[in-house]
Amino acid sequence: MAQILPPGLTASDFAKALAEFKAAVGEDWVFSSEEDLETYRDPYSLRWGDPDEYLASAAVAPDTVPQVQAIVRTANKYRIPLYPISTGKNLTYGAAAPTFTGSVVLDLKRMNRILKVDDKRNFALLEPGVSYFDLYRHIQDHNLNVWVDTPDPGWGSPIGNALDHGVGYTASPFRDHFGSHCGMEVVLPTGEVMRTGMGALPTADSWQDYRYGVGPYVDGLFSQANFGIVTKMGFWLYPRPETWFSASALVPRFADLQGLIEEVSYLEDSHLMTGQAIYSSPAGPAPGAAVSAGLTALMAHGWPTRDDIDTFIKKQGVPAWRVKLQFYGPEKTVRANWEYAQERIRKAIPGATFEEGELLRMPLTPEQQKTHHLVNFGIPNMAIYSMIERRESDRFNPPQGHVDFLCILPRSADAIFRAQKTLYDTQKSMGVPAVTTPFGGPITWYHRAFLIGAPTTANYRDDREKNKQSRAVFAAYIKNMAAAGFGEYRTNSAMQDLLVAQFSFNDHALLRFQERLKDAADPNGIISPGRYGIWPRHLRKEKK
Amino acid sequence: MMRTLVFVLSWAFAAAMISVPLIAASPEQVERGQHSFQYWCATCHAPDAREGGRFLPGTASLKAKYHDEKPAALEERTDLTPEFTKAIIRHGVAGMPFFRKTEISDRQMEDIAAYLARNVK
Repeated sequence: MAQILPPGLTASDFAKALAEFKAAVGEDWVFSSEEDLETYRDPYSLRWGDPDEYLASAAVAPDTVPQVQAIVRTANKYRIPLYPISTGKNLTYGAAAPTFTGSVVLDLKRMNRILKVDDKRNFALLEPGVSYFDLYRHIQDHNLNVWVDTPDPGWGSPIGNALDHGVGYTASPFRDHFGSHCGMEVVLPTGEVMRTGMGALPTADSWQDYRYGVGPYVDGLFSQANFGIVTKMGFWLYPRPETWFSASALVPRFADLQGLIEEVSYLEDSHLMTGQAIYSSPAGPAPGAAVSAGLTALMAHGWPTRDDIDTFIKKQGVPAWRVKLQFYGPEKTVRANWEYAQERIRKAIPGATFEEGELLRMPLTPEQQKTHHLVNFGIPNMAIYSMIERRESDRFNPPQGHVDFLCILPRSADAIFRAQKTLYDTQKSMGVPAVTTPFGGPITWYHRAFLIGAPTTANYRDDREKNKQSRAVFAAYIKNMAAAGFGEYRTNSAMQDLLVAQFSFNDHALLRFQERLKDAADPNGIISPGRYGIWPRHLRKEKK
Repeated sequence: MMRTLVFVLSWAFAAAMISVPLIAASPEQVERGQHSFQYWCATCHAPDAREGGRFLPGTASLKAKYHDEKPAALEERTDLTPEFTKAIIRHGVAGMPFFRKTEISDRQMEDIAAYLARNVK
C-alpha cells in the first residue's frame, strides 16, 4: 500500500520530521511501518476499508512532557497534524485512529504514572496512559479508602474518558467524569505547558481541591476538542461508602411515569438518593427476552396511542413502570432516605407499591462480586463486551464491533415517548427492524438528564456494504432526533461533523466561535483537525 | 491492508493446525508471560466465565464458538502456537480489537505467546 503522508508534505520532509520525532523519543517509539499502522486503525470503524477511512501516517509515543513539547515543535515546523490518544480504547468513538487522514497519532500510553492518590482529600492526579484497571489496582494495593467511578470497560483511560464526556455508575457527583475532574496540565499547540485552576499558582498545593483558580474557566476547551494535549489531570474520588442499598418503586399506569420522574428527580437533586435510578417497564420485554405476542400485536399497526398502551398494560395485569433506586452511605441514612422516598412517591402517585432490595456492606465479598453489577461498586471489568460476543445464532460470524447512538433528553415522560417514537419512525423509514417500543426506560448516567439510545449497531471489518447501511441509519438517527430536539452527547468520529452541524443556533454561532478560538490558539492547525467538527482555517472550506 | 490481514490470519490459523516442533521457552519467559497474560488478557479470558462476578467476554465468546471441542479458557488450551497468539494480539478477531506496541510490547507479546504455548504438544 502507498505510504500515507501528512497533507501537503513531501516524503522527504516527512522523513526529516520522523527523524526529529525519533531524536525526541527514541527509535523504538516512532511507528511508520504498514504493520504498525494497522494497530492505529479504528477496529470498530464505520468506514473500515473505504477510501474515506481515517488513517494515520505515523505514530509517536512520548514518555515525558518535554518529549511531548519537542514533538509539538516539530509538528509546527512541518505543519503536521497530531492526534493525541490516551489509552486508545475509546472504541465506538474512534479508538486510536485520527479524525483526519495523514495525522500522526500522538500515543500517550507510555505516560502511565499514577502521580498521587489521596484518600483524605479524596483525589487522584494521573497521566493519560493510566487505565481504570491501573488506578483500581493501585488503590487496592495501597489499601486506600476511595472508589474510582469507572465506565463499563475498565481498560480505558480516566483522562481520555473524561475528555470525551464519558460516564460511570456510582454516586451522582462522580458519574460525570469530566464534571468530577479538578485541574489539568496541557501542552498547548505552541508547545508551552499550561496548568489550569490552582495549578497556575506556582506555590499552591490546592490544584486538585479547587478547580476554578481565577478568571475564565478554560478546561472545557480541552474536552471533545482540539486546543491542546492534556498531560495530567486531577479527579475527585468517592470516599468508600459504608453500604449500598437498593429498592424499587412501581406505579400502575403508563402516565404515572411523569410523576415518578418528578419524585425521583427531587430525591436525586436533593442528594437524598445518589445512585443511578434504573427505570424499566414490567410491561415491556425483559432484556434479551423475546417480544411477547401481545406486544407484537400492540406494535402491529405502527406506534401505539397512549390509550392503546394503557389497555395493553391492564390486560397484562402488571405495573406500568418500575424504578430501582440505589442509595450509598451509612445504613442509618440510606434506610431513612428510602423511608422518605416511599412517603413522597406514595403521596404523589396513587397505587404505587414498593419492593425492598438488599443492603450490602462495603467492600463486597468475593461471593457478592459474583452476582452484582461491579461498576456500581467502582470495580472495573470488561463485562460490557458481552453485547458483541458470539452467540449461537452467529457462532461463526459474530459482530466485529459496535457503534452506539445515545441522545440527551430532558427528564420528562413526554420527551421519552417522543424520542422513542422518533427512533421507531426512523427504523421504519430506513427499512431496519423497528425494535424500539414505548417501554424502554431512559439511561441515567448523567443525573440531571436522560439518555435514550437506538439499538447498538454491529459493524464488520469484512463487510463494507453492511457498514454503509449502518452509516446511513446512523445519519438518519442523528438528523431525525435533532429535528425532534434531541442531540447525541458523543459520537463516532465518522459522524462528528454531522452531529455538530445540528447544533446550529444562530447560524452555528457556537461552532464559529470555536473556530475563531482554534485559529488563535493553533494557527498552524496541528492538533486533531476535525475533532468534533472543529477544523483549522486551511481545511475549513474543503470540509464544508 | 485487508489482504494483508487475511493473509496473516490465514497463515496463523494454518500454523496453529500444523504440528510444528516448538523451541522450548525458558521458565523465566513463561513466568513473565503469565504475568503479562494476567495484566492484559485475563480481564476477558480468565478461566471461569463467572469468576469474581466478571462476565468474561473472551471466555464466553470462545465457549460459544467451540462448545466443548476446545477449552473456552485460553490458559487451558494445548493448541495455541506462538504464531497464532501473536497474530491475534496484533490483528484482533471478532469483537476483540488489536493491541498496539505501546500497550503490549513485542517482548511482552512473545512472553504471552510462550506462556500460552507451554502445553502445546
